[in-house]
Amino acid sequence: MRYETVIGLEVHVELATKSKIFCSCSAHSYGAEPNTHVCPACSGMPGMLPVVNKRVVDYGMKAGLMLNCDINRITTFDKKSYYYPDLPAAYQTTQWFAPVAVNGLVEIETSKGKKGVRIKQIHMEEDAGKLVHDIREDTTHVDFNRTSVPLIEIVSQPDLSSAEEVEAYLERLKNLLRFARVAECEMAHGTMRCDVNLSVRPEGSDKLGVRTEMKNMNSVEAIKRAIEYETARHIDALENHTEILVQETRRWDDIKGKSYAMRSKETAGDYRYFPDPNVMPVQIDDEWFESIKSSLPEFPEVKQKKYEEALGLSSYDAEQITRSIALCECFEAAYAVTGNAKDAANWMISEVMSILNARQMTYDQLTLDGRALGELIKLVSDGTVGRANGKKILAAMFDDTAISPKIYAETNGMIVSNDTGLIEKTVKAAIAEAPKAVEDYKNGKEKALMAIYGKCMKELRGNCDPQVLKTILIDMINQM
Amino acid sequence: MTREILRRLELLNQLSLTEEEKESVMAFFDAREADAACLESIDTSEVERMVHVMPIMTVVREDVVSQPYSREELQRSAPETDEGYWCVPRVVE
Amino acid sequence: MSFYNAKAENVSSPSVILDDMILTKDMPTTAGSRMLDSYMSLFDAEAVSKLRAAGYAIAGKAAVGEFAFDLIGESAYGGALVRDGKLVSAACEILLSGEADAAVTLDVNGSVRRASAQSGLVSLKPTYGTVSRFGTVPVACSGECVSVVAETADKCAEIFSVIVGHDAKDGTSLSASQCQAALARASAPKKVCVIEDFLQEVDADVKDKIDAACAAFEKAGATVEKISVPTLLAARAAWNILFSAELCNNVSRYDGVKYGYRAESFSGIDELYTNSRTEAFGKLLKTAIIYGSETLSTENYMKVYDKALRTRRVIAEKFAELFAEYDAVLLPAVSKMAYTEEMVAEKHDLCYVENLYTAPASVTGLPSVVCGGVALIGPALSDGKLLSYAKIVTGEEN
Repeated sequence: MRYETVIGLEVHVELATKSKIFCSCSAHSYGAEPNTHVCPACSGMPGMLPVVNKRVVDYGMKAGLMLNCDINRITTFDKKSYYYPDLPAAYQTTQWFAPVAVNGLVEIETSKGKKGVRIKQIHMEEDAGKLVHDIREDTTHVDFNRTSVPLIEIVSQPDLSSAEEVEAYLERLKNLLRFARVAECEMAHGTMRCDVNLSVRPEGSDKLGVRTEMKNMNSVEAIKRAIEYETARHIDALENHTEILVQETRRWDDIKGKSYAMRSKETAGDYRYFPDPNVMPVQIDDEWFESIKSSLPEFPEVKQKKYEEALGLSSYDAEQITRSIALCECFEAAYAVTGNAKDAANWMISEVMSILNARQMTYDQLTLDGRALGELIKLVSDGTVGRANGKKILAAMFDDTAISPKIYAETNGMIVSNDTGLIEKTVKAAIAEAPKAVEDYKNGKEKALMAIYGKCMKELRGNCDPQVLKTILIDMINQM
Repeated sequence: MTREILRRLELLNQLSLTEEEKESVMAFFDAREADAACLESIDTSEVERMVHVMPIMTVVREDVVSQPYSREELQRSAPETDEGYWCVPRVVE
Repeated sequence: MSFYNAKAENVSSPSVILDDMILTKDMPTTAGSRMLDSYMSLFDAEAVSKLRAAGYAIAGKAAVGEFAFDLIGESAYGGALVRDGKLVSAACEILLSGEADAAVTLDVNGSVRRASAQSGLVSLKPTYGTVSRFGTVPVACSGECVSVVAETADKCAEIFSVIVGHDAKDGTSLSASQCQAALARASAPKKVCVIEDFLQEVDADVKDKIDAACAAFEKAGATVEKISVPTLLAARAAWNILFSAELCNNVSRYDGVKYGYRAESFSGIDELYTNSRTEAFGKLLKTAIIYGSETLSTENYMKVYDKALRTRRVIAEKFAELFAEYDAVLLPAVSKMAYTEEMVAEKHDLCYVENLYTAPASVTGLPSVVCGGVALIGPALSDGKLLSYAKIVTGEEN
């Protein structure tokens, strides 16, 4: 018999806000000293009340719109109760009854073609703290820095059927959410985490099989391996009756390449949800909704098509730039200044992206002012600044985004000189110092000229039109 | 209310009741039957639930960071801390 | 036996006694529980900050029942307070002794209103959202209010005018203009109704208080009508469910990890939780926790909790109908003018029964003033007006 795998994902994404969802502590917990981004509210002390961070709702809405969801214009918060040391109030504030976004659709592309994955809902909630188990053998250490950091949970319908589709779906989510600048989505940093719900059924059947859940998966490769393993385990159980499948939560051990049933408490899953009396409904009025809607970027594939068709970029160039909204915005601003898309794209790909790579920055971390980049490109292309100096100026602009390329070029002596007298004087001196090279050149060694040319260019600090220098140099040697 | 449900509720709420407490909780639940009957008599088929008594909406806060308390202050009443962490017996993963 | 959980030295006048549900940074806040026996808050409640800023001295912290939802304070970790064979409330006793000019308390389930009725004091449980709950120990957040008790209605009005106001730190706080509206005073009411259904089980001396209040209103020119609104009796059943569920959720944070009581011996995290909570919590609190959690179970949620939320709206709508015709509703605050230790020894959960009279205002968030041993309920934001009406009942001079 042939089987098909049915997979639904619950993806938790940490929102890139400055402060936490209900208190004003910093939301940037990654790598911070333990319990330094904590206050009485997010450490479960009595007396503080939750006050909703506007940007969390902004980002929840943005995520919903990027994933083609309907936005609930009145959205509410609920409490979910359970005891665990990473949950200081013993409840998590989340959205159960009226989540911010529902009924979405995400299009993915795999080797089998395009496919839509339905989104059941996106809800906003607070993250739990972190437990550290390796400081002392008998003790777990508790860090509340991550407690109440805002999350969205994106719940898909069980529309995925393979590891490849899951990978494509996660990539797509990452791309869309980063494009809307709502999240970092870095699994290695824990800013994107994934619960995988999986079942297997005979192909063509419309009845779902027994479902198992693997929680808190934090790498795409591990998720793929876990899906392959679980699928095989389920099929084996169905075909060969090796075990009886039960609905359960399993832990994936990526080192051993196996999943294990987790010991579960008798009371597990009894969360006693109820509406949070301390958080009034959040009403998203037309003005708020429209301001969010109009702030959304075009989808990456829309931009890519535009870059190719309207601006004439190669599909490779268009694809490179649309990898990040920050690259797109920088490119578009630079192009607006120069009017030459190909030139701007070249600078983006061969200069800007390589500096980001060399500095180990993500593309989203680009803060370069695209208009300033455009001015720089113009200075180089019209010969005001030499190409090598142009690169130096770009590096300086990365360090200080306030730099104006023109002023920087002027104050640092990087303007190409039209003073032929100075060039002739420099060439004359260089020729005098290199009689051997002149001799070689005259004997037909074209390359010998380059040594003198390079020396002159260095002497002139690059501020010389290469063609002018070359002409003067050849003329002067020929006159000798 | 049964003894079995009560045992589960104790687990759920991290409580361990004495025999005397269990007896009185069982009696308490019996007394709540009157409450249940009273609610039963109210027709709620036409009304929405009322979570909040005042019809106001959330006033959101701007996304601004402030960190008014130090870790030392926050852990002043802590039963056990170590290296800036709160401590609990090892939680087996 | 002490009325004080903490007492300030050399208290200047005017002074306010806080009940031990209101957080203070210079005195411990125990919530009447062994769990928070010497808990020090890092901050003052908003009401306390406002009182201090207005020049009121804080006289100390009055003992309360464990998490303040009991009958009158009998469930305190420090034990019940008894005077002349009667159970008494620490805050009211301190006021009667003249050691403070007013009390500011957290009214969770009416215990403050019962105590002031039995002590002959005046109290205001304000409209929900007019006084910030920032810095109060949370128990039943959908209905509990920071309340005022004093010897006179005018003193209550004075303290209320200090602590009222919008607070961005409390998401349920009403706007500044709404808060301001709650301060408006009035002369006499035109029409008052007495809800007969609440007189069925009260003692004769309580009925006398109701009659006296009616007579005072009539003398002041008001029409008083006795009417039957049996629906309002369901407020208790609804409130019992709602407050217990919220309480269960709110006190689950006390687990022996972050602060507060931690059991001496345990092995493993679950024993740490269970032993700490079992040893630190009293019987009434445990009962309420178990009950509250059961109302929220998957099987019961719609049948019990959701039903209570819908009943709350039915009751609120019923009150709205009444206030289209009447300026205030008159009810008993208690069924008897004194409680004894024997009563609560026999029925430790008496607060789930006797709150029949206080639940209507708790569950709807409507303002309620206790005066002359009876309770007045008015429409939202009629707090100041109710205090004016109270003066008619108490015979307070203008």
